[in-house]
Amino acid sequence: MDWGKVKFFLGEVLANLTRNAAMQITAIGTVAVAIAMLGAFLFVQRTAAAVSDQALQQIEVSAFLRDGLDAKADSALAARVGALPGVAHVTYVPKAQGLKQLRDKLRGEVDTSLLTTNPLPDTLRIQAKHVADVPEVAKTVKKLPGVVDVHYGAETVQKLMRLLDVAQRIGLAVIVLLVLASFQIVSNTIRLTVYSRRREISIMQLVGATNNYIRLPFIAEGIVAGVLGAALAVALLLVAQRELLPVVAQLIKFVPFPTQLPDLIPLAFQLLGVGALVGAIASWISVGRYLRV
Amino acid sequence: MAPEEAALIELSSVSLTYPNGVRALDAVDLKIEKGEFIFLVGHSGTGKSSLLRLLYREQVPSAGDVYVDGIAVHRMRAGAIPRLRRNVGVVFQDFKLLSGKTVWENVAFALQVTGARTKDVMRQVPRCLDLVGLAQKSRMFPHELSGGEQQRTAIARALVNNPKILLCDEPTGNLDPSTTTEIMELLQRINTKGTTVVVATHNRAVVDRMRKRVVRLENGRIVGDEERGFYFLGLGQGQVLSG
Ligand SMILES: Nc1ncnc2c1ncn2[C@@H]1O[C@H](COP(=O)(O)OP(=O)(O)O)[C@@H](O)[C@H]1O
Ligand SMILES: [Mg+2]
Repeated sequence: MDWGKVKFFLGEVLANLTRNAAMQITAIGTVAVAIAMLGAFLFVQRTAAAVSDQALQQIEVSAFLRDGLDAKADSALAARVGALPGVAHVTYVPKAQGLKQLRDKLRGEVDTSLLTTNPLPDTLRIQAKHVADVPEVAKTVKKLPGVVDVHYGAETVQKLMRLLDVAQRIGLAVIVLLVLASFQIVSNTIRLTVYSRRREISIMQLVGATNNYIRLPFIAEGIVAGVLGAALAVALLLVAQRELLPVVAQLIKFVPFPTQLPDLIPLAFQLLGVGALVGAIASWISVGRYLRV
Repeated sequence: MAPEEAALIELSSVSLTYPNGVRALDAVDLKIEKGEFIFLVGHSGTGKSSLLRLLYREQVPSAGDVYVDGIAVHRMRAGAIPRLRRNVGVVFQDFKLLSGKTVWENVAFALQVTGARTKDVMRQVPRCLDLVGLAQKSRMFPHELSGGEQQRTAIARALVNNPKILLCDEPTGNLDPSTTTEIMELLQRINTKGTTVVVATHNRAVVDRMRKRVVRLENGRIVGDEERGFYFLGLGQGQVLSG
C-alpha cells in the first residue's frame, strides 16, 4: 500500500468537497430529501404489502365441487389445486363438515334444526399467496374438471388492488422526480467544482494524467455527497420510525396494522447504495462532459 | 546524428486551420534531431505557439504528418495522449503554477497525477528542484517567488517526468533581461544533459546571444532555418554582428 498516494488522493477529494461548500450542502440536502422520500415510500409500500397480506387472510377462494365425486377424486383435485402457482394453502371441506360449520356459525340466530337435508357441496377452501393472485387463481381453479363454481370476495380484492396500484404509481412518480432532481443538483455541484478546478485539470492534462485519473476525485466527491445525503435520510427515517410511527398507529387503529413492521436496517443499506450510485453517475456524466470538450 | 536515424520530431507538409478559418500553419516541413536546441522565431501571430501545440497534441493538423519520438501524433487516439505528454514537457510565458500549492507540491503534482509511486516522487522532485536551483525554496508558494523562480518551478515540473523533449512557449516573455539570461542558461544546461529543447520566442537579444539553430516563421510558413543563426534572416551567414 502506497500511503503517500492515498494521502494525495484524499487531499484532492477534500479540496473538491470544500471548494463550493454552500453548493455542496445544498446538494447533500436535496439528496437527503429525495432518499428520505424514497425510504418512506419503500417503508409504506412494505407496510401496505403486510396490511394487504393480512387482509388476504380473510379472502379465500371457495371452489364448489361436483356432487358424487368419491373421496379419492376429491383429494386428487385438492392436491392439484395446491400445486398451482400462487396458491398458498388448500383445505378440503366435505359437505358434512361444511354443514356442521354452518350450523355452528348460525347457532342462536337461526333454528338450524330446520336444515334437514344438506344443501352444501364438497368445498375446497383456497388461500392465495398474494392478494394480486386471487383473481387468477379463481379463474384457473374454475376451469378444472370437477369444479362447479368458484366464489371469492371479488369486489374487496379488486378494490384493494386498485388502491394499492394507484398509491404505488403516485409514490413512484414522486420518487422519480425527486431522484431526478437530486441527480441534477449533484451533477450541477460537480460541474461547479470542475469549473473551479479547471486550472488543475488543464495542468493534469498537460503533464499527461489520464482522463480516468482526472475523473476519480470528482467521482469520489459525488459518492461522498450521495452517501452523506443518504445517511442523513436514514437518520431522518429512524427518528420518524421511533417517534412518529406509534402516533400514526394510534390514529389509524381501524386499519389492521401489521404487528411486524419491515426492518429499517437492510433498507438503510439499500438507500446508502442508491445515494452512492446517484452521486457516482451524476459526477461521471458532468466530468465526462467537461473532459470531452 | 546518424543520418539513417529517424528525427526525434518531424513535420511534413503540415497545415493547421483553426475552426474560425485562420490558417495558422501552411505546408510546414521541419526536422528536429535528438539533442538539438532550436529557436522558433517570428512576429506575434505567425504560428509559433500553434506549431508547438501540434507537438504535444493540443492541436491536430488539418493536413500533413507530425511525428514525435516515432509516434504518429497526427493520427493518434485520444487515449494515447497522456503517454505522449509524459515524454514532452511544456513551459509557458505565464508559468501556469497552482497558487494553492508549494513549489514542491507543484512539481510533485505532475508525478502524482500520472500515478507515480511515492518512492519516485521523493526521488525525482528533489532532483529537479536541485537542477533548477530551487531546493531552498521548496516550501514557498508561487506568490512568494520572483517571476524567474516561478518559471524555474514550471521548468522543474516539466522535467519531473524525464521527458525527451522540452517545449518552451515564450518562456521569458514576462521576465526582466537579467532573469531572462538566467532562464536561458538553465535551458542550455538542460539541453547539455541530453533533453531536446524547442523555444518559441520573439526576443531578439536572447536569440542573437545564444547562436543556436533558428527557424523563422512568417504567416504560418517557414521562411528560414539556420544553424547558429540570428533572429533576423541571413545575418548568420559569415557576418559578424553584435547581438
Ligand atoms: N485557438 C485558436 N483559435 C483560432 N485562432 C487561433 C487560435 N490560436 C491561434 N490562433 C490564430 O492563429 C494564428 C497563429 O497564432 P499563434 O500560433 O498563437 O502565433 P504566435 O504564437 O506566433 O504568436 C494567429 O492569427 C492567431 O490569431
Ligand atoms: Mg504564441
